[in-house]
Amino acid sequence: MSPAALTRRARLPRGEGAWAWLAAGSVALSLLLLGGLLTLIAVRGLAHFWPASVSLVELDDGQVFAGRAVRELPLPAADGASGGRERLYFTGNRDLDGHVWQWVEVDRIVESDRPRELVVMERLRHGDFIGRLVDVRPAGQTGARTAAGGEAAWAALQARLAAVDALRGERDDLQHGVIQPLVRRLEKDPGDGAAQRRLAETNERVRGLQESMRRDVVVLESADGRRLLLTLDEVLRAWRPNAMPLPEKIGAWSRGVWRFLSEGPRAANTAGGVWPAIFGTVLMVMLMSLLVTPFGVLAAVYLNEVAHQGRLTNWVRIAVRNLAGVPSIVYGVFGLGVFVYGIGGSLDEWFFSDELPSPTFGTGGLLWASLTLALLTLPVVIVATEEGLVRIPDHQREGALALGATRLEMLTRVVLPMAVPAMLTGVILAVARAAGEVAPLMLVGVAKLAPQVPVDGEFPFLHLDRKFMHLGYHVYDTAFHGDDIQAAMPVVYATALLLVLVVVVLNLTAIFLRHYFRARHGALSRH
Amino acid sequence: MPELPLSQPSQRSDASRLESGRPNSAGPIIDFAPDVSCLDVEGLSLAYGGKPALRDLTLRVPRHRVTAFIGPSGCGKSTLLRALNRLHDLNEAVSRQGSIRLEGQEIHAPEVAVDELRRRVGMVFQAPNPFPMSIYENVAFGLRLQGGLTRRRMNDIVEWALEAAALWDEVKDRLRASAWSLSIGQQQRLVIARTLAVRPEVLLLDEPASALDPISTLKIEELIRSLKSQLTLVLVTHNMQQAARVSDYTAFLHDGELVEYAPTASLFTNPRLARTENYITGRMA
Amino acid sequence: MTKPFPASPAHRSPRRHLLDRLATGLIAAGGIGVILAVLAIGAFLAIEVVPSLFSGALGQEQITLSLSPLAWGTLKAAFWALVFAVPMALGAAIHSAVYMSPGLRSRIKPTLELMEALPGVVIGFVAGLVLAPWVERHLAGAFALLLVMPLGILMAGGAWRWLSPALRQRLPLAWAGLWLVPWLAMLGLAALELVPWLEARLFAGDLRGWLDAELGIDYASRNALIVGLAMGFAVMPSVYALAEDALSGVPSSLGEGAQAMGATRWQTLWKVVLPAAAPGVFAAVMIGAGRAVGETMIVLMASGNTALMSLSPLEGMRSMAAGIAIELPEAVAGSDSYRLLILAALLLFLFTFLVNTLAEVVRSRLRRRYRRLGDLS
Repeated sequence: MSPAALTRRARLPRGEGAWAWLAAGSVALSLLLLGGLLTLIAVRGLAHFWPASVSLVELDDGQVFAGRAVRELPLPAADGASGGRERLYFTGNRDLDGHVWQWVEVDRIVESDRPRELVVMERLRHGDFIGRLVDVRPAGQTGARTAAGGEAAWAALQARLAAVDALRGERDDLQHGVIQPLVRRLEKDPGDGAAQRRLAETNERVRGLQESMRRDVVVLESADGRRLLLTLDEVLRAWRPNAMPLPEKIGAWSRGVWRFLSEGPRAANTAGGVWPAIFGTVLMVMLMSLLVTPFGVLAAVYLNEVAHQGRLTNWVRIAVRNLAGVPSIVYGVFGLGVFVYGIGGSLDEWFFSDELPSPTFGTGGLLWASLTLALLTLPVVIVATEEGLVRIPDHQREGALALGATRLEMLTRVVLPMAVPAMLTGVILAVARAAGEVAPLMLVGVAKLAPQVPVDGEFPFLHLDRKFMHLGYHVYDTAFHGDDIQAAMPVVYATALLLVLVVVVLNLTAIFLRHYFRARHGALSRH
Repeated sequence: MPELPLSQPSQRSDASRLESGRPNSAGPIIDFAPDVSCLDVEGLSLAYGGKPALRDLTLRVPRHRVTAFIGPSGCGKSTLLRALNRLHDLNEAVSRQGSIRLEGQEIHAPEVAVDELRRRVGMVFQAPNPFPMSIYENVAFGLRLQGGLTRRRMNDIVEWALEAAALWDEVKDRLRASAWSLSIGQQQRLVIARTLAVRPEVLLLDEPASALDPISTLKIEELIRSLKSQLTLVLVTHNMQQAARVSDYTAFLHDGELVEYAPTASLFTNPRLARTENYITGRMA
Repeated sequence: MTKPFPASPAHRSPRRHLLDRLATGLIAAGGIGVILAVLAIGAFLAIEVVPSLFSGALGQEQITLSLSPLAWGTLKAAFWALVFAVPMALGAAIHSAVYMSPGLRSRIKPTLELMEALPGVVIGFVAGLVLAPWVERHLAGAFALLLVMPLGILMAGGAWRWLSPALRQRLPLAWAGLWLVPWLAMLGLAALELVPWLEARLFAGDLRGWLDAELGIDYASRNALIVGLAMGFAVMPSVYALAEDALSGVPSSLGEGAQAMGATRWQTLWKVVLPAAAPGVFAAVMIGAGRAVGETMIVLMASGNTALMSLSPLEGMRSMAAGIAIELPEAVAGSDSYRLLILAALLLFLFTFLVNTLAEVVRSRLRRRYRRLGDLS
C-alpha cells in the first residue's frame, strides 16, 4: 500500500457505527412524522375554504358533468401493466344525481375546461349546486328570460342574495332574541297573556320576512342541461370560482374562515361553522381553570411549604404525580359516578324534584364536565407549582423570616409572587390538556349538537346544567357518526386544525414562560 | 473603647491584662458580667438528624460590641449563629438542648413570638438575598409587616436605613429600580439596610462579605464598625484578617465546641491554646 | 457615625399571629382536602365494584367473558404502540443526549413536547380516516416504507463516511436529526413511486389479495398496526423525554473516563452510560406503557372496535378504555354492565397507577444515585 493510500485511509473519520445513525434517524423520522401530520392537517383544513376552480368534463361516452377535482389515484393494474389513473370529482347536485362524488378514469376524459360562467351555490338543503345560472325572476313569473343571460343574471343574483341575507339576519335575530325567550317563559307560565300576544305578533313578522325571502326564484341548469328552480331563501351563497381573480379568491377564503369560526353547524355538522363548539370549549376550559388554579396552588403550597417533609409527604407527592398518568377515561368514569349520578342525582332530588324524572343536574352538563377536567388537570397544576416553589432559593424565605415576617407573610409577599410564572405555566398546560381531552367528556356532558350555548340573556345567564359542544368531540362525532364521511372530511380537517392550533399556542406559551422563569432564576442563583 | 465588666472580680484584672496583650491565666474562655451581656448561650447542643453540630456550648455576647465566630468549615459557627434567631425552627430534623437568652429572656419560651424575636435579632446572609422588588420596597418590607406607619414616616425610615448602610448616596435617585439591578456589593448593603430598618437589637452576619470583591468587603467592614454604637453585632467569618480588623471579641469554635473566646487582639497575638494557634497560623484547615 | 435610630413604631403582632395560624390551618385543610379528593378516584372505583365482587353479583364467568376480549385488545394495542414507540423514542433520546449539538437539542426538545400535546382525537382521526384507508389502498407501499426508512438511514450513514471532509463538516452527525429529514422524505416519495411497479411484478398488483389467497391473512382496514403506529406516535414523546432526562443526567465524568481511553461515543454509551441510566430508561418505557394502555380516543377511532381475540396485527380489536367510552353512557347506573365497566376502569386505574409508581420510585432512586456519582467525581 502506498503511503498516500495510508494517509487517505487515516483521514477517514472513525465511524460511530450503524447504531448511531439509526439513533439519529429516529429523531429525523419523528420530526418527519410530526411535520407530515401538521402539514396534512393544515393544508387540508385551510384548503376547505378555498374557492377551488370547477371543471366542465366530457367523457368518451358523451356524458358531461361539472365538478371540482379532489384527488387522483393510480388504478390497480390487473395484468401487470400500468392501469392508468382515476380521478375523484366533487359534483354536488345531490337532489339531481342522488350522489355528490364521481370517480372517473382519466383516460376516458375527452375534454375538460373551466368556463367562467360555472356557478357554485351553497344551499340550505342538498349541499352544493354546481352548474350554470340561467335566470333570476320573481316567483310568480314564468316564461322567457328577463335578463339577457350570463352577466346580467349574475349581477341580479348577487344583489338579491344580499337582500335575502339581510332579511335572514333580521329573522334570526327575532328568533333568538324574542321568540325563544318568550317560548321558555310560556313553558314556565302558560297563562302569560302578554307573552302570548307578543309571541303571536313576532311569529307573524317572521312569517312576513320568510315570505319576502321567498319572493324571487333562481333558475339553474346543470352541466348536462337539467333545469332546477330554487327560491332564494334556499340559497346561502353563490360564486363563480373560474371567474374569480386571485385577490378575490383570497378574500372569499378569509370570509370562509371567518364564517367557519363565527357560525353554527348545518347539515348534521358536515357544513357551516363551529362557533358553538369553540364557545363550549372555551367556556368549559375557563370554568375548569377557575376551579383548578386555587385548589392546585393550595395543594402545592401545602405540600411544599406547610406539610411536614417526611416519608408520607414524599409518598403523597409521588401519588399525585402518578395521577397525571392515570387514563383520562378513568376520570370520566369517576365524574359520571360521583358528580353526575352521585351529587347531581342528590341535587335533583333536593332542589329540582318537580322536574323529575327528567334530570337537571343528574345528567352530564357543563358543570360536571368542568369539575371532572379540573380533577384531571389538578396533578398538572400541583406538579408545576411545586416545581416553581422548589426553585425559589431558601435564602429568600429566610430573608423574609429574618425580618420578622410570619409564615403567611413570607408566603404571600415573597414566595408566591415569585412562583407566579410557574403557576401560570401549570395552568396553561392544564388548559392545553383539557382543551384536547375528549374521552372523559363523552361520559360527563358533551353533546353532538347543542345550538343553545350555555350562556344567554336569561337568568341565571350561565347555565351550568346544559350540555355543550366541544371542538374535540366535534371532530370525533363528525368524522365517525355522519352519513357521508367523505363530505364531512373538510369540516373535520378544519376543526382538527383549529384544535391543534389552540393546543399548540397554549403549549408554546407555557414553554416560553417556563424558559423565561428558569432564565430569571438562573440569574438569581448566580450569586 | 471602654473595658467591659467581666463576671468575676478575679477575672477583671485578667481581662485588663488580656486587653493589653498580657497572658491570661484565668482560662481560655472569657466571661462577661450579666449586665453587659446581650445574648447568653448556655449549655447549647444542636444536632441535625441525630448528628451533633454543637456540643454543650456556653458563651456570652457583649452588648454594643462586635463579636466574631471563627473556625474551620463545619465547626458549627454558622449553626450557632442561626440558632440565635431560631432559624433552625424551619428544619424539623434539628433537635436542640440548652438555652439562649436575649437580654435575660429565654428565646425558646412558649410566650416568645418567633417573628418578633427575629425582628429583634436581624440576620444578614452569606449571599445577598434582596427580594424581587424595588430598592425602596425591599427596605420597607419589614416596616410594612408591622404596619401603622404613615407614608412620610416610612420614607424617613427608609432613607435613614439606607444612609446607615452607606447606600443612600448611590441609590437615592433610583429607589424604584429593581433591587436585582444593583451590584452584588450594593445588594449586600441593601440587605443590611433592610434589616436595620426594623431596628433590631442584635445583627447577625453570616460571612457577609464572602461573596464580595475587596472594595465592597471594605465598605461592609466599615459599616460593621460604624454600627456597633447602636446595636450588638455577631459576625461569622472564615477570614481571620476580617475578624481581626472588625471584631472586639473573637470566639474560636472547633468541631461543635467552643475552644477559645477572648478579646480579639489577645486571641490573635497570643492564643492560649495550641489548637487556636494552629488554626490562626494556618496549620489546620 | 450614623444618626440615632428613629423612634419605635407600633406593633400589630397579635392579629398577625392569629391570621398566620388561621391561614396555615386553611392551607393545610385545603391542601389535604384536594389531595384526598384526587386520591378518592381509586377509592370510588373500589367501593362501586368490590362489594358486588364479593357478594357474587358479578360472577367469575361473566367477568371473564366480557372483560377478557377488552383486556386482550388493550394489551394488543399497547404492545404494538410500544413496538413502534420504544425503538424510536430510545433512538431519539440517545441521539439527543449523546450526539446532538446543544443548540439543536434546545429546539428539538420543546418540539417533541408539542408532539406530546397533540390531542388524541386529532391523531385518532388522521389514523382512522386518513391513514387506514390510505394504507388499505397502498398496502405494499406502506410495508415498503417500513423497510425503506431504516435502510435509508443506514445508507446515509454509510455514504457519509465517504464524503469529502468539507461536506462532512457541513453535514455533521450532531445535526443529523435535521438534515436527514429531507433525505428520508425524498426516499419515501421515491419508494412510493417504485412500489406499484414492484407490486405488479411480485404480487400480481394486489398485495392484499395475495395475502388473503396465499397466506390466508385477513386484512382489516382499521387494525392493530394502524393503532400501534398512531398510538406509538402519541406515546413516543413522553418516553423520549424521560429517557433523555435519564441519559443526559448521567454525570459526564463517567463517560469522559471511557472516552479518554479511546472508546467511541457509541461504545461509551453502550458500556458506561446506558448501564448507569438503565433504570431511568426502564421507567420511561413503563410510563409509555401506562399511557398506551389508557389512551382512549386513538384506539376508539383507529381500531374498528371489534371485540376480537386474535393475534394477527392486521385485525382490529377493542380496548377497555374504548369500551368504557362507548358503552358507559348507555349503561344504566347499578346494572351489571355498568359494574363491569367500572371494574374495567378500576383495572385501568390500578394498572397505570402501579406502573407509574414503580417508574417514579425507580427514577427517584436513580436521581439519588446520580447525585452520589456526581459528588464522588
